[in-house]
Amino acid sequence: MITRIHGAVCIDGIGKSEIRDLVLNGESICSLPKDSRADAEYRLDGHIVVSGGIDIHTHIGGGKVNIARLLLPEMVDHKRSNSERSGKESNWIAPLSSPVPATWETGRRYLEMGYTACFEPAVLPANARQSHAEMADTPWLDTGGYLLLGNDRLLLEWIRDGVPQQQINDYVGWMLRAHQCCAVKVVNAGGIDAFKFNQRHLSVDDQHSYFSITPRQILCTLSQAVESLGLAHPLHVHCSNLGLAGNIAATMATIDAVEGRRLHLTHAQFHCYAADGPHGYSSAAHRLADRVNSDASLSIDVGQVQFGQTVTLSGDTMHQYANRNLARPRKAIFQDLECQAGCGVLPFRYRQDQYVHGLLWTIGIELFLRVEDPLRVFLTTDHPNGAPFTSYPHLIRLLMNYDFRMSVFSRLHPDVQKSSPLPSLKREYSLEEIIKMTRLGPARALGLKNRGSLIDGSLADVVVYERSENPEQMFSRPRMVFRRGKLVYRDGVFLDDAMKSTVVANVQVDSQMDDLLNRIWRSRYGYSTEMIVVRSDELRSKNRTIEW
Amino acid sequence: MICSFCSLLCDADDLNEIQCDRRTASLVQFETLRSIKAGLPQLEKQVDAELIIVAIESLRAANRILVTGRIASVATARAAVAFAAKYNATIDCAESGHVFKNVLAIQRSGLNSVSLAEARDHSDLFIVVGDDSMLAACPRMPAALSGGKPNLQTVLLLGDFSAAAAELWKSVGFDAWSVPCDVRTVPSALAQWSRSSDQSPSHRSSEMRPTKQLFERMAQAEYTTIVWSAENLRIEHADLWVERMLQWIAGRNETLRCAALPWSTLDGTFQQVCTWLTGFPGRVAFRDGIPQYDPHGHSYEQWIARTPIGMSRESIVVLIDETASSTPFLNLVSMQASGKCKIIELTGNSKCFPTAVAGVEVIADIFRADQTVLARVSPSHKLVPSIKSAAEWLEGLSQ
Repeated sequence: MITRIHGAVCIDGIGKSEIRDLVLNGESICSLPKDSRADAEYRLDGHIVVSGGIDIHTHIGGGKVNIARLLLPEMVDHKRSNSERSGKESNWIAPLSSPVPATWETGRRYLEMGYTACFEPAVLPANARQSHAEMADTPWLDTGGYLLLGNDRLLLEWIRDGVPQQQINDYVGWMLRAHQCCAVKVVNAGGIDAFKFNQRHLSVDDQHSYFSITPRQILCTLSQAVESLGLAHPLHVHCSNLGLAGNIAATMATIDAVEGRRLHLTHAQFHCYAADGPHGYSSAAHRLADRVNSDASLSIDVGQVQFGQTVTLSGDTMHQYANRNLARPRKAIFQDLECQAGCGVLPFRYRQDQYVHGLLWTIGIELFLRVEDPLRVFLTTDHPNGAPFTSYPHLIRLLMNYDFRMSVFSRLHPDVQKSSPLPSLKREYSLEEIIKMTRLGPARALGLKNRGSLIDGSLADVVVYERSENPEQMFSRPRMVFRRGKLVYRDGVFLDDAMKSTVVANVQVDSQMDDLLNRIWRSRYGYSTEMIVVRSDELRSKNRTIEW
Repeated sequence: MICSFCSLLCDADDLNEIQCDRRTASLVQFETLRSIKAGLPQLEKQVDAELIIVAIESLRAANRILVTGRIASVATARAAVAFAAKYNATIDCAESGHVFKNVLAIQRSGLNSVSLAEARDHSDLFIVVGDDSMLAACPRMPAALSGGKPNLQTVLLLGDFSAAAAELWKSVGFDAWSVPCDVRTVPSALAQWSRSSDQSPSHRSSEMRPTKQLFERMAQAEYTTIVWSAENLRIEHADLWVERMLQWIAGRNETLRCAALPWSTLDGTFQQVCTWLTGFPGRVAFRDGIPQYDPHGHSYEQWIARTPIGMSRESIVVLIDETASSTPFLNLVSMQASGKCKIIELTGNSKCFPTAVAGVEVIADIFRADQTVLARVSPSHKLVPSIKSAAEWLEGLSQ
């Protein structure tokens, strides 16, 4: 099948943004002679064409997401999500039926915004099969998972005992392959396990009360492993001291801990607070942004907060537990899991008139505006922690339009308005920059060479938006979405299913690890590693494949 | 391996041959649906395409459809939910009455919990609440929780446990204590114990009177795990009991570490899959393909109770059982009710599709009893050659 798109402006952040023909030949984008025949042709004057959006950090599958669904049935409102808005707003994306919707709705809403790949950032080692099963049931999206390490007791023991780095590299490689993940994530290094020993605080240079090692050692060791294994995505780090005033010090110490290796700081907004100001809580976004601007080995995703009801879910049980009294409604779930993972689920309402909540909103925007390179700062809300992913179009408008941004800012708590530097940041993102931060940047950060751009050979995952003065409206509803060259969505109608793929890291595994880890698993957890190993054939079906 | 009958770790060679008390016990509780099954004709081994066509016609003609039974695998749960959505059916598992004792409490109060293997590896005190029926139903529980660290783990049995039960825990290395008491009083007794500033056990007014030595052991525990099995909680309004237990656990976590390990029923896998596919853990009725949740109104008992008198073909129960070792089946049962008791009678129009046993005859992904680990269970052997799985039948009926 050959499809030719005429008359639209092609934007990918690599080449010049210009009107040109774009040809989708089978599953790829390719050049064809101008007079060659296409099976389908679309004349799309007044439109832009971009590659499919990539969400580098969104909680869409796995135990904690399902636990949140279980906890909050009262938040499900299918009438809200199914109601068509009237009048000129009819092209705007409908809200989710719940902050943690069912899998089919997640896939549907992402595609409705022009996203075609999403990455679950917290796959628990013992629970990877569930994550993959949920992502398999999320239609239209390519997916991948980041494996949660850095609290697993075996790793902590080995670090304490000073085993050779090669042994740890082999372990990390084995775990990645066994759980079919594409990257390694650390959440509050050592802190989840320390909480199981009733330790309620652990900063980067504090000692784990049982293992007598520090998060700094864990971060350094794991970043070495990630580098040695040649993983495309750097160590993906949720820093220590989530949400605490003054946590910028821990964030800076985290960056130092990896000793110059590549590092991705996730939901950075939640990790750049100073302890100044009238309420002892203030922005340190400039410090983190300066550091990112001066160090090309760093990238961040923001985890922007938007106002309204959501649910926070995180592997960081220590800090989720600390926030238990902030839950609205007043209920929460905390789980301690084997392989020393955990999860905390807290429903939460961000209020515009609340000082700290308003401050978080400004800090996220500040980070976006202060980090200069849109290829190293990615648009996320840490769905659903900061806000549901359906708020992306609104967030894009905030970044592209200073006046609109200030109109929201003017409704925040007066002390936020007095203390925030946001009014002085006049930057307005260009369309090209938005496309970079939602497509090309995440693709490069994840090593997805065939995604994120419109160059020849790229996957034909292509989105067509009608140009509009209002970017929120434009990014709410594409006119068309192609997946692997097939038109799957047009003008609000879902036309067809499409092949999905699971992105998995291609790492070499030391077979000696099989026996060693099997013995350890049997002794510690009472079962064989066979029970948790996800085989490649489990990720393949008639409409699903693996992408190495 | 994971036993596909009880979702527990099991080292038995041939699961299919096991006379598992848990399975037997749960079958006894399967009364309402068992009464449907009891009247079915002998299973047919050969089912041709014509029967599928007839079944689809029946389904299309039906006004009310209930999907229920024992769904043990992810594949069948997916197929059952898709089937229910297609036919705008109500879906609820056979043991949801037990499942929802925990679910209702969690949805009101939240939860502090621990996974089975984490508790095994880390917990130094287990408080097991129930009676001997719990161990009869879950005979592998002590072994599954034993970390192989003799005398380092203590188990406190609260309820109506026999001396033999304590011996069972001791035999796998636990320092076992038993305090006989009425299970209903356990939440208040634990709360009283926590509140007391005087740590002398002789001053307790509660029925639960631990010895001083045990009292000290409980007070010194660094990580306490509370185990109960909703299936074996034979008390009225058990969800309120569970809620009070969860509140006690939450309070204890203010200063120490403590977590619940609520043992799930066989429906754990269905509950998980239904949650990610619909947003709800079961008891869902589909209307125009949209799931509607009512934890009280959409139970299979309520559905059956609401079956209009005199109707037969209009109401169909799709009854699935992929766990039974000898007669797994998927049935379409036309039903009618008569009299105030709403006694179900088979109309003779039932259609029966023999199915493979999940995890024994076909590969199945099954959640462990704590619902945190989804294990792939490979078939040990096929009882019936070329037999289809329940998921395959459901997919065929959804065409």
